[in-house]
Amino acid sequence: MTRAAVFVGAVVLAWLIWDTEADPVRLAHGLPWILDFVRRMIPPDLGVLPAALAGAVKTVEIALLGTAVAAVLALPLGFLSARNIAAGAVFYPARVVLNFFRSVDTLVYALVFVAAVGLGPFPGVLAVVAYTTTSLAKLCSEAIEGIEPGPVDAITATGATRLQILRFGVLPQVLPLFLSYVLYRLETNIRAATVLGFVGAGGIGFYLQTYLRMIDYPAASTVLLVTVAMVMVVDAISSRLRARLV
Amino acid sequence: MDPMIEVAGLSVVLPPATVALQGIDLAVRAGEFVVILGKSGAGKTTFLRSINRLVEPTAGVIRVAGRAVTGASGAELRQVRSQIGMIFQQFNLVRRASVLDNVLAGRLGYVPSLPSLVGRFPPSDRRLALECLAQVGLAHLADRRADTLSGGEQQRVAIARALAQSPAVILADEPTASLDPQLTTSIMDILKAINAERGLTLVVSQHQLETALAYATRIVGFRRGRIRFDGPPSALTPSLIDAIYGDGEAG
Repeated sequence: MTRAAVFVGAVVLAWLIWDTEADPVRLAHGLPWILDFVRRMIPPDLGVLPAALAGAVKTVEIALLGTAVAAVLALPLGFLSARNIAAGAVFYPARVVLNFFRSVDTLVYALVFVAAVGLGPFPGVLAVVAYTTTSLAKLCSEAIEGIEPGPVDAITATGATRLQILRFGVLPQVLPLFLSYVLYRLETNIRAATVLGFVGAGGIGFYLQTYLRMIDYPAASTVLLVTVAMVMVVDAISSRLRARLV
Repeated sequence: MDPMIEVAGLSVVLPPATVALQGIDLAVRAGEFVVILGKSGAGKTTFLRSINRLVEPTAGVIRVAGRAVTGASGAELRQVRSQIGMIFQQFNLVRRASVLDNVLAGRLGYVPSLPSLVGRFPPSDRRLALECLAQVGLAHLADRRADTLSGGEQQRVAIARALAQSPAVILADEPTASLDPQLTTSIMDILKAINAERGLTLVVSQHQLETALAYATRIVGFRRGRIRFDGPPSALTPSLIDAIYGDGEAG
């Protein structure tokens, strides 16, 4: 049994290496090029710093607005797709829809929305909303399914209406967890939003792509450094906020 | 006078096919302190949860304070539930909410729905909630988060929540089973005081015989989903106790 599994694993691994043309030798030959690339990025061209910072601000704005809108949409969707709250007739379709939309990445949504509403940060916001809503709704529904039934029983026993039961028995148990998911998604959305500019959906990615195309490596280097700093700052703030929620 | 709680022919089959209660008939008069006695698995919890339909009866009729529980739908069921306070073994407070908010939840059956959803309760309800907290001796902890309290304090908050319903009946499902023995007395004393001072009808399940004998005005013994004894504590003989607790058959 174990031997068979090892054999099958080895065959699959070999096939994957062959089919993806994975070749350590080629990587070794390429190393000097990477070093050359890095060398040409030094020193960074600080002349483009204002542009890079403006792009970073736009990226943060895209992620913030997109995540906020998604959070508002995701909370009710989460209730509709929680097995212990929604009736089967609602729950099953809701789950299918969520899984369908969640299987497409933010960047793919960005391509669609750029085609639909044109270039700029707005399609970026829409792309963040599209992906984040469904992924947060899924997390929210799982949080709802994991609640303690006891407080819900207690609120039900007081003669509360269904909405009151959700508000007083379910929501207080779910909200802190949900908010920490929202902050976590904000962090990942900042990262996702850095590449949105590559497809014309605004933000710092636009500058990175432009400078790389112009073979202006010192300028691209500045943009990269700003990106790293932006991600680190947002992560630090967000994780501090998350720690206070628990 | 009509009984406060009237149960006739109650049977409960829990999914998939566990017969939890079979043909239970019981009438509880106003002001009684009934202790439901039995081993775990005897059907005590299912019986109590049937009375406010947290468990759906399979057959039978239940009436509380003159209102139908079985067959009641929507608003009717909520109205009769608001008349029935319930206390749970695990307290079942909303842990992250304040003590006062937990007690205010007892008013949900009475307050207008929309304002309550944004957390607004009439001042009279807030006063009542504070009074109920004072009755269990915890008014000074009103602003604390519920999960910062000890187990015994949490159960007292749960009692205050039930009192805030201004109920006709209080059901308590093993209210002391999660607590230290010395706290058992304090919780049971509070229940006894409620029974004596307010004339509230109490139905309390217990697996401890000594506690049952000390507090009940009437004991109902359950075994394997059926009533095996029903009478005053003084009528409970060793052979009857054995009929409730005996190891002859699986509980």
